[in-house]
Formats: sequence, structure tokens, C-alpha cells
Amino acid sequence: MDVDIKKVNEIISRYDQSEESLLAILQDFQREFHYVPEEGMKRLSDVLYVPESKIYAMGTFYKTLSLEPRGKHTVKVCMGTACHLKGAGQILEAIERELGVKRNHTTVDKRYTIESVNCVGACAMAPVVVVNENYYGHMRPSKIMDVLNKYK
Amino acid sequence: MEKVTIIIDGREVEGIKDQSVLDVARENGIPIPALCYHPEVSTSGGSCRVCLVEAHQNERMRLVTSCNYPVRAGLEIRTDTDLVRRIRKGVLELLLARVPDSEVIRDMARDYGVGEPRFFKDEGEDNRYKCIACGLCTLVCEEVVGVCAISMLNRSREKAPGTPYHKASNACIGCGACVYVCPTSAISMKDEGDTRTIWGKQFTMIRCSVCGNPYIPDAQVDWIVKTTGKDKAFFEKCPDHR
Repeated sequence: MDVDIKKVNEIISRYDQSEESLLAILQDFQREFHYVPEEGMKRLSDVLYVPESKIYAMGTFYKTLSLEPRGKHTVKVCMGTACHLKGAGQILEAIERELGVKRNHTTVDKRYTIESVNCVGACAMAPVVVVNENYYGHMRPSKIMDVLNKYK
Repeated sequence: MEKVTIIIDGREVEGIKDQSVLDVARENGIPIPALCYHPEVSTSGGSCRVCLVEAHQNERMRLVTSCNYPVRAGLEIRTDTDLVRRIRKGVLELLLARVPDSEVIRDMARDYGVGEPRFFKDEGEDNRYKCIACGLCTLVCEEVVGVCAISMLNRSREKAPGTPYHKASNACIGCGACVYVCPTSAISMKDEGDTRTIWGKQFTMIRCSVCGNPYIPDAQVDWIVKTTGKDKAFFEKCPDHR
């Protein structure tokens, strides 16, 4: 995936040119490109005078930052205790089967990234699937594709 | 510099206020084991937990890491009590579980009577199999060398030093300071003829004009010339023939 260097510069220009802006800029990269591109980190290092290794280390530290291209939509399947007991495993398997992708990976068409996560704090709705910022409770393997198909 | 007197293992010794307990102990020939601390790296220490000692002050006792615990008047340190030995044994058992291949850790653990670790054995890869993730290599690279080519990447069990994107780093000058300070010899560096390979990058070595031995990477010479203004001709001879 080619990264628009103009967009990179535009994101960097939104913030103070200081080391403190680092994480905020990386988060904006993540939002814009759905991952943190190498080109972005290189540019950031040049502009903020922060060693590249420190920026990369930050990228590897935070779970919300991905260093590999990700799908347009993030599908989180809750594997917390309540969801687990209510059959979250079967939901995850159903997604893997239907989309032909393993957990913590991205579909070939870059539409979905599938993640298994720990408790999302909505146990009363178990089992829960979170697509982007939207929560879907009382999920069933038979219903999951109807939900995912809403996200093009 | 304010001098203070403290007691280590019943002996009165003198140190400078805020100097580390470990430094004072070593200056006085009192051995305390430590892995992640290096006196030339001001930010080092506090990570391997091997140098734990009892600190008695104001009628209270705490276990502290001697490498970064400041010396103050009235402090009494005990380095070899049953408690210290027991806790240190536990620390070594955990370290051994992480790096079962490290000779240094194996030897230390044996000295403290650690058998087969009870914990999950870490099946590491690459340099991680001997790395205790203390970060001393990255601190040297940043603070002493000043290039900051490597940083600690990832976290928890995957935490390990590395270059950005796991590719050859533009910043690395091949000096090998990271290899030198690593307490568990976890970083690989190969010198073959005129070539040094470290962190996935190859460097051309400069040969001494007297003995003909390759002794310093050209990138390191360039870095020293650039940062100190020293004459490049100085590096034509190795330290033995200057």
C-alpha cells in the first residue's frame, strides 16, 4: 500500500513540532492509514529530531498501533469470561471460516482485521462483537455475517 | 561533595552523598552481584533485580536495588542475609526460566542453589534466547555512543532490543558497545576479515597501518570525527601502535 506523503505531512503539521506530540501523531497515522507506515515514522524522525528507533519502539509498545497494514474495519471478538462461556469461541470460528482468515490477521481484500480481545466491559450483552466502535451483543454464529456485511 | 558514612555488613565505609550503594560497596571490596548496571551509564540499573540488598534506616528495613539506591547518612546495608539470598534466588530462578541458554545466568543460579526452574520455560528466538531485557545495550547506544540505533521493542515476554523495522539501521556505526556491555552476551557480532556484521548490517573495518589488523569500522571513525572534530589520520593506527 502506497502511503500519501502529503497526508503524512499534513498530520504532522497539526501538532507542535516536539517530542510530546509523538504518540498523538502516531495515533492519527493509525486512524488515517489503519496502520503506522514506515514512511510516516521516517518523516516524523526527521521533523521532530527523535531517533527512529525510539519512534519504532513506541509503535511496537502500544497495542492500538499496528505496524502492518490493517483492514478498513476492525472486528473484535470478546473472549472475556462471560463471552467465552456464552460461546465466543464458536463466533470467532464462524468468522474465520466465513472470511477465510485467522484471528489477529487481515482479510486479503483488506476489508476486515479480526482480533480476539479480552473483556470489553459489556458482559451483560455476552457474547459481544465490536466492529470499529460499534458493539453488537447477544451474538450468534448464524447472525455474525449479517452484522459484518453492513461494513463495506 | 558531601561525604557520608554508612555501614555495609557491619563495616563502616565512606561514600559520597547520593552515590549508589553498589558503587560504595564495590569501592570497598564488598561484592554484590549485578547484571544490568554499568558505572559509565548513568541511566542504567534497577532492572535485573539481582543486586537487591537489605537497607536499614530509621528502624525500618526495605529490600532495595543497591545499584540505584542513594547513600545517605545513617544507612545500614546488609548484603548477604537469609532474606536477601532467598529473594535473589527467586529472581535468578525467574531469569533462568527466561534465558535457560545463558551461561552467566546458569552459573549464578547454580551458585544460589536454583535447580530446574518451576516456571514456564521461554522458547525464545534470535537474540532473545540469552537476553534478559535489561535494556543496558540501548542505554549505552543512546547515552554513551550517542547514536540511538537500537531501542527496546515490544513488551512483556517479547520485549527485546532491536533496530527500527528489524532492518539494518542507518544510525548504527558498528561500534559494538552494545555487545561489550551486555551482561549475558546476548548480542551477536561477527568480525570476518575486513567485515563486521552486527544488527543485520555490514561494516568495513579499517586496518592499522602498523600491524595490519582490522580494528575499527569506518562508520565509527566517521562518527567520532564528526562529533569530536578529531583528525581522521589519528585512526590510521590502532590503540596499540599510536
